[in-house]
Amino acid sequence: MNTLEPSGPPTPVVHPSAPVATDPAPVLATTGDPTPPVVRIRQLRKSFGSLEVLHGIDLDVHAGEHVVLFGPSGSGKSTVLRSINLLEEPNSGSVCVDGVEYGPGVAGEPRVKRGKPMALRRKVGMVFQQFNLFPHLTALDNVSLPLRSVKGMSSEDAMRKAAESLRQVGLLERAAHYPGQLSGGQQQRVAIARALSQDPKVMLFDEPTSALDPELVGEVLRVMHELADAGMTMVVVTHELGFAREIGDLNVFMDQGAIVETGSSELFDNPTNPRTQDFIRAVR
Amino acid sequence: MDISSYDWGLIWDYRGDLLRGLLTALEVSGVALVIATAAGLGLAMLRMGRAPLSWLAVVYINVFRGMPALVTVIWIYFGVSLLLGVNFSVFQAGVIALSLLYSAFMAEIFRSALQAVPPGHREAGLALGMPNGRIFFSVVAPQAFKIALPNVGSMFIGMIKDTSTFTVIGLLEVVRVTQNINAQTFQPFVLYTAAAAIYVLAAFVIDIFFRLAEASLSSPPRGRVSQLVRGRKQRRIQALVAELT
Ligand SMILES: Nc1ncnc2c1ncn2[C@@H]1O[C@H](COP(=O)(O)OP(=O)(O)OP(=O)(O)O)[C@@H](O)[C@H]1O
Ligand SMILES: [Mg+2]
Repeated sequence: MNTLEPSGPPTPVVHPSAPVATDPAPVLATTGDPTPPVVRIRQLRKSFGSLEVLHGIDLDVHAGEHVVLFGPSGSGKSTVLRSINLLEEPNSGSVCVDGVEYGPGVAGEPRVKRGKPMALRRKVGMVFQQFNLFPHLTALDNVSLPLRSVKGMSSEDAMRKAAESLRQVGLLERAAHYPGQLSGGQQQRVAIARALSQDPKVMLFDEPTSALDPELVGEVLRVMHELADAGMTMVVVTHELGFAREIGDLNVFMDQGAIVETGSSELFDNPTNPRTQDFIRAVR
Repeated sequence: MDISSYDWGLIWDYRGDLLRGLLTALEVSGVALVIATAAGLGLAMLRMGRAPLSWLAVVYINVFRGMPALVTVIWIYFGVSLLLGVNFSVFQAGVIALSLLYSAFMAEIFRSALQAVPPGHREAGLALGMPNGRIFFSVVAPQAFKIALPNVGSMFIGMIKDTSTFTVIGLLEVVRVTQNINAQTFQPFVLYTAAAAIYVLAAFVIDIFFRLAEASLSSPPRGRVSQLVRGRKQRRIQALVAELT
């Protein structure tokens, strides 16, 4: 069951710098699962210079859940995702992944011991819109380099584990190819394998198919679908609302740096907030 | 002087001296290339880092990019040596002058090469939990090195040409040797044509060398030598794939 309104905390805080259009009550995005979440974001605010782009985000992602973030360009979806693995440093609030907490903390709560960014990042896998494969390394070495440098595996073990990950995305026979010799869809699948091989607690996808030719979108979505079916915890930013409807346990509509409305797949059929309605009508 | 009085045979007669001159130029430039590359990389990092060190790097770069080789080597050999009370050999003075000048150029070359590596690659490394140092050495530096390589080659050629000015401090490089032979034979056209040809040939060979190096660093590697070296890795992967399928 998906709750559309927060049950307990966070307390509604009207921040002076929040735009007038933003709803006064922050929405806690959660499926309401009572188990401790894998990712817990509280009162996350982020500014670039003097411009605040996230006005207090509250999000729970529980083990095995697939959370979809969608919304107009510039609404802050990527920034939320990049805050989860601290590619963006939160200005206030906290980010907690699998018990490792980071960030200045939540107003009114006692300060807890804050973890190191590196410890948190190692629990999170990320797939980028632009793949970001290392072009001077083969597909296999793209996967095995972080296994050696982060997990300290021997070259032989890392190669074998990397090969297994490539097999998982259907690219074992391309292991010796360089990124420049692979199609966009194949590159993205290698990038997924690279992130997966680190055994992350949660996988983040930032518009993983937006840079692909239309005919290559399917193969990447198929791999993601398999991952979802295998029970991987995922947070996905995507404009593919059809795909979102298939995998999304919790769909989160963002606009202007805030969460506007959340829900299960019925959110796409019966959005209640007028801004969600407008967006879904425009995309369809 | 009419054509028949040009004695082209002189070049062959003095080939040993001329080649030794070239060798000296290559030695001075080669040592300076290593120093300038290391120092240039350091300067590039300072330049991209925090103030006030970045300002110092900017000042250094702008001073030495603007100084002519001739002035620099005289300044080192006759000026700085007095100031420090050290008697530099002509070889040392040449190396120091080239290192000072070219580390400034190298700094700019490395800075733009490092900046040409897409920031997303660094972010991917961070997202994978890789430490910063490892990201630099395994992800950013190899790509930047390949981007910088052709320009480093041009710098090496420039260094060799600049050694010609070191004749003023008496370094026995190509020009000095040519002057000495000319003093005995009075054949300036022949001898300076030979000197020019030596520089042009050296530049040509160095250019080819750097092109080959660049090709071998491309992915996938091009060229026989690099396929032999880097192909081993690929064959190891292919063997593993064959074993697993
Ligand atoms: N590094 C940055 N410096 C300054 N402003 C930034 C930076 N990154 C993002 N922003 C701004 O923050 C806001 C949110 O950006 P974000 O990339 O999170 O949006 P998004 O929802 O992912 O959009 P899109 O669908 O276009 O990817 C935008 O106004 C953007 O211009
Ligand atoms: Mg985005």
